[in-house]
Amino acid sequence: MSQAAVEVPPKGGFSFDLCRRNDMLSKKGVPLPSFRKTGTTIVGLIFQDGVILGADTRATEGPIVCDKNCEKIHYMAPNIYCCGAGTAADTEAVTEMVNSQLQLHRYHTGGRESRVVTALTLLKSHLFNYQGHVQAALVLGGVDVTGPHLHTIYPHGSTDSLPFATMGSGSLAAMAVFESKYHEGLTREEGINLVCEAICSGIFNDLGSGSNVDICVITKGHKEYLRNHHMPNPRTYFHSQGFSFPKKIG
Amino acid sequence: MGDSQYSFSLTTFSPSGKLVQIEHALTAVGSGQTSLGIKAANGVVIATEKKLPSILVDEASVQKIQSLTPNIGVVYSGMGPDFRVLVRKSRKQAEQYHRLYKEPIPVTQLVREIAAVMQEFTQSGGVRPFGVSLLVAGFDDNGAQLYQVDPSGSYFSWKASAMGKNVSNAKTFLEKRYTDDMELDDAVHTAILTLKEGFEGQISSKNIEIGIIGTDKKFRVLTPAEIDDYLAEVE
Repeated sequence: MSQAAVEVPPKGGFSFDLCRRNDMLSKKGVPLPSFRKTGTTIVGLIFQDGVILGADTRATEGPIVCDKNCEKIHYMAPNIYCCGAGTAADTEAVTEMVNSQLQLHRYHTGGRESRVVTALTLLKSHLFNYQGHVQAALVLGGVDVTGPHLHTIYPHGSTDSLPFATMGSGSLAAMAVFESKYHEGLTREEGINLVCEAICSGIFNDLGSGSNVDICVITKGHKEYLRNHHMPNPRTYFHSQGFSFPKKIG
Repeated sequence: MGDSQYSFSLTTFSPSGKLVQIEHALTAVGSGQTSLGIKAANGVVIATEKKLPSILVDEASVQKIQSLTPNIGVVYSGMGPDFRVLVRKSRKQAEQYHRLYKEPIPVTQLVREIAAVMQEFTQSGGVRPFGVSLLVAGFDDNGAQLYQVDPSGSYFSWKASAMGKNVSNAKTFLEKRYTDDMELDDAVHTAILTLKEGFEGQISSKNIEIGIIGTDKKFRVLTPAEIDDYLAEVE
């Protein structure tokens, strides 16, 4: 029997085969290609009737803004939404995967409303399995039978449960606003205004965040996704007649 | 003929060109409780008898009609546990399709995938065919659709169909009663009358199950109260 090298199909999980190649390339001075990060300010807070999530809408690729109006608040279940910071592809893929799993779980349990801790556990187990290589930092919020919940999830798989939370490069700017103005028993209007202020703080003081504010309000049995609720960075100057450059001849 | 000598192995053809195990699976379906489906002009209705082995069984916990996606539902005749397994697989496949193509799975695609699973179990080693026939009802961009899937993995689109114990009487009844321009409510009445035809005992909302889908594209199982209303209208 020659070359008893058996091709075992990968059993899932991250394949570290290319890490040696990357190491060798970087030693030779070849830079890693940059990927699209969301920079980001994402926040969440618990108010008297439920949870409010907020996010900015700038996506960056190194020093370039590659998407001026992206969506960082992801749908997980009718009563659960998740904001994502970190690598855009990672946050998208992981939230869609868990969304799918929650949908199947709802079918198998007779249409019972999904619980926030279910989404939390599915996300954190996945992130822990990949040992931090899936760079997704998430703020997960929702209202279920056990009440309103707000959690933060870190790329390595640890989680916190908090009354108010911020993540992303603009988290310090946003947290400063929350720490000074948050109190229990906020009304819906107060909550939305506070979230808006916190995101704006990130938008104006952090280079990785910018453009508009997206808000999502989740209460018992009802949710409102306020896309572009606040747009503090409109494009101010437009040439009214547009431009017409002459075609180059000869 | 020499058929019986070939009836033990699923993966061996008999001299007359049949796979005898599949014939036996169809027999298992034929001795299951009657179920039927009717495609109306503006929707589909599927219904089944829900005869429980004893009055002590909690009938609210038995759900013979299940939804696979928000706009596709399914009912069966035959072995309940086989049905459960197929429902689980189909739901997963519908979700995977949605994840990949970002659109809700069309009815024909889902039927094709279910049929492919059922066919797999007729050509593999160490497994037996599923002992169920399914009636899949859905409403998508191509309108209302009703499909029957057999243990062999073959599927057909029907305007109205029945399966299980009383199949020949039920189909004759449906042939007489079916019209192309039936409305969904008429179809529900016809379904109830068809079930009544071969029903042993008194028909009531506790021993039948009905699922409908209309132009709202939302499949739902009727509550016992709604079934009572329809039964009263039929009397």
